[in-house]
Amino acid sequence: MRGVVPAAFITGLLAATFSVSAMAQTAWHDLPAVKDLYEKAKAEKEVVIWTPTQTEVDWVAAEFPKRFPGITVKGTGDLQAATKLIAEARANRHSVDVWQNSLGGMIEVQKRNLFAKVNWQELGIPPGNILFDGEGVAAHNFVYSALYAKNFVKDEDVPKTWDDLLDPKWKGKMVAEHFLFPRLLGFLALEWGPERAEKWGRAMLDDQKILITNAPRESFLKTGERILSVGDSVTQSFQYTQNGVPTGYTVLDVVPAVQFMMAVMRNAPHPNAARLLAAWMTEDEGMALREKNAFGFGIRPGSKSQVAAQIAKAKSKVVLEDLSTMQQRADYYKKFSALVLGQH
Amino acid sequence: MSQLTLSTNLQRTRARRPVKAGRRRGEIGVVGWIVIAAASLAALYFILGPLTMLVTTAFRGPQEFLPFEEGAHWTLDNLKTVYSDPALYRTIIPNTLIFTVGSVSVTFAVAFLLAWLVERTNLPWRNVVYTAVLFPLLVPGIVLSITWIFLLAPNTGWINVALRNLLYLGDTGPLNIFSMTGMIIAQGIGLVPFVFLLLSAALRSMNPSLEEASNVAGASPFKTFLRVTLPVLRPGLLAPLILATLVTLEQFETPLVIGFPARIQVFATKIFFELNPDSDLPAYGRAAAVALPFLIGGILLLFLYNYLIRRAESFVTVTGKGFRPTRFELGRWRIPAMIFVSVYALFAAILPGFVLIWASLFGYSFPSLDVLSSISFEGYIDLFNNYKFWLAVRNTFIVAGSSALIVTTIGVVLAWTILRTKLFGRSILDFVSFLSLGIPTVIAGLASMLLYLSVPFGIYGTVLVLVLAYSYRMAVATRLTRAALMQIHAELEEASSVAGGQWLTTIRKVVLPLLMPSLVASFVLLFIIGFREFTIPMILQSTDNGVLSVMMWQAFQSGKTMQAAAVGTIIVMLVIPVIFVMRRFVLARDGKD
Repeated sequence: MRGVVPAAFITGLLAATFSVSAMAQTAWHDLPAVKDLYEKAKAEKEVVIWTPTQTEVDWVAAEFPKRFPGITVKGTGDLQAATKLIAEARANRHSVDVWQNSLGGMIEVQKRNLFAKVNWQELGIPPGNILFDGEGVAAHNFVYSALYAKNFVKDEDVPKTWDDLLDPKWKGKMVAEHFLFPRLLGFLALEWGPERAEKWGRAMLDDQKILITNAPRESFLKTGERILSVGDSVTQSFQYTQNGVPTGYTVLDVVPAVQFMMAVMRNAPHPNAARLLAAWMTEDEGMALREKNAFGFGIRPGSKSQVAAQIAKAKSKVVLEDLSTMQQRADYYKKFSALVLGQH
Repeated sequence: MSQLTLSTNLQRTRARRPVKAGRRRGEIGVVGWIVIAAASLAALYFILGPLTMLVTTAFRGPQEFLPFEEGAHWTLDNLKTVYSDPALYRTIIPNTLIFTVGSVSVTFAVAFLLAWLVERTNLPWRNVVYTAVLFPLLVPGIVLSITWIFLLAPNTGWINVALRNLLYLGDTGPLNIFSMTGMIIAQGIGLVPFVFLLLSAALRSMNPSLEEASNVAGASPFKTFLRVTLPVLRPGLLAPLILATLVTLEQFETPLVIGFPARIQVFATKIFFELNPDSDLPAYGRAAAVALPFLIGGILLLFLYNYLIRRAESFVTVTGKGFRPTRFELGRWRIPAMIFVSVYALFAAILPGFVLIWASLFGYSFPSLDVLSSISFEGYIDLFNNYKFWLAVRNTFIVAGSSALIVTTIGVVLAWTILRTKLFGRSILDFVSFLSLGIPTVIAGLASMLLYLSVPFGIYGTVLVLVLAYSYRMAVATRLTRAALMQIHAELEEASSVAGGQWLTTIRKVVLPLLMPSLVASFVLLFIIGFREFTIPMILQSTDNGVLSVMMWQAFQSGKTMQAAAVGTIIVMLVIPVIFVMRRFVLARDGKD
């Protein structure tokens, strides 16, 4: 018996190693589970996805059928999807297959047990990217940064830390979005503690006269009305540049990041196509295509994006949106929103 | 206007008699009562749904549940949270009052002058001016606000740069759009077309014989204006004044884009922030609690309105005697009037239009000759190659046109019923239709979603659901037609009735032609509001019922500036001809030049 156990253990270990190795060597779309799922999904003909922005729907609708012909992607960009999904479910109407949103934005829907539990590992998703015990899977991140107008800021002047932004030379030259800035402060409070984050926020507002706006920051960077956009996402810098506003981003000492995730709806009208789409969007090919088409980058451990590499090189501290700190951050957001609104 | 020339003995003998407010049941007939009942029920259906939703939502909580979800319960927490906040009394209410009074004053001063110039003077190019005045109504509010930033941003605003170069000033200012004054001017000018449409309809329907009599009696034009024109126009002035006040209270684009950087918060922005939390569901309960004062304000304003116009006969100017309005000769005031119109057009129409078209072809590039070579039609090409765009164009026309028609039709029946009958409950109809103004669009959208998700027939997700959801704005139609109806003597209808005309015939051949300017104004206004409405279709959107405003918003949110601007430009291009056609139609009906 003594000899049998190690032998079985070694055999099992070897089998597992070969299996993982085979999975790694086999293209994702050639995995048996994926091929099997595709056959079932083809019969469903279409899949409906809701995302926060239309850009996500557009690139997926263009790229997914190239990999999986015969399945049409329909969808829409909607920031208030949670309310609609809950209301639809209550009315026993089900029009959505896959939903993509931030982790925090999906919690209320997840609490109502509206997501399907999926065996993501079978579909080649690393265990570390599986959320809510299989009801969700991690996608890309919203990476907070300070964007700068390349026409007005030299590369050597670009700030390296959040505290660098308190330098008087930036006074009256910064802009931030009304929703993102208090969110940024919430993330920084997790890392720095609320007192330091509040002090920093007050200094930005009162001393540095940062302009808080609901308008696109792109226009401010273009004209030079403001030359740094604080708390904007790395994604936006690419988008602005594509729109003709040369914009750079800087990886600062602390990198807050919102986690986006995908979920398949429990009563999805096209359940197989839904699982296939969600898995494809979060595996390497989908992630790379998102990076190319929508400038969405993943920075979770194991991510292969260029931004993840830059963060690693800069040795910055990543503060990832996380279920354990969700409530704390939401409380900070409320507090810092009041600060930004001038109420405290 | 041939109907108006039916000058009978009956009318002459009643020339000084008060308007007959009541009407015998027999005169209306079965068909008439069916029409009135149908219109009343439809109005109650369209308005009471969102209204009930608003009031009940304010008393439902907690936030993690939708108002009618299992787990939600009746509570006063929303009211306590909202109204125990010291910031409300310290900053939000004072800011809201200053902003509203300031904006409405600017709006009224500009809109009245423009309406008077277009409708009552010999100002040249009146048709062009009419369309130019309406331009801000066509352009999405956020584009207008961004235009103001382009012009008056403290560091790089075009006007500031010009002033600094001219006056050798420092690096920033001297003007700053991010201030209360900036907010008031931007909002005030943005609302001019809304009030202009209402005022011009009232001015157009007004018989100038009283003014002429005053002039003949030796009164100066100014005295005539104060003693004759203003009192006669009182219903026509009060209605837009009240509507403008409520619309300004609800408006949140200008306070968000221009006021927020100055850290000026008003009531409407508070609603916006309650609906856009970090991670929880939107706080519908608190948003509704914040919105309740709109309703209370609406009720108070309605009482005030009814009090001020309680002697309806004072406002009758259209009697059996026909009239052909004469126009004031501007004379030496022609040039100043043209300058005034041009300055308005420059800031409200030409510059926003230029920014919109420029952004659709060049993105955010600063206008210069160097940039011209980088012109790109990509935004338009992407749109035209996208089937969703053509679907959105079709849907937008259907939704805006149908809802405007429904509301205007119901509105005229309601206004007539309220003013010309003694129907039991007509004051409730008046009250309810007016309160539709106090319902924030987000609440109207949410109510429609919950309602149409629960009905057994599958209209949720269709274009029809948008038509129904848009059709709650009854106040615009009832106020406009009511004000116009008050200027028309009931004797005209009585004459038709005495001559054997059935109720429906009288309405069709006497009332509707006389009300046509107001009806067209109501339709145009509702059509334009429907064309650019995005809150309701965002909430009720599906893959099949997309409209242009949602498409523009989605492009804007996705950072596709050129495409968003291209959609905005197309919206304007599509609506301008509608306004021209309507304007020509009204003029043709009036037999005016």
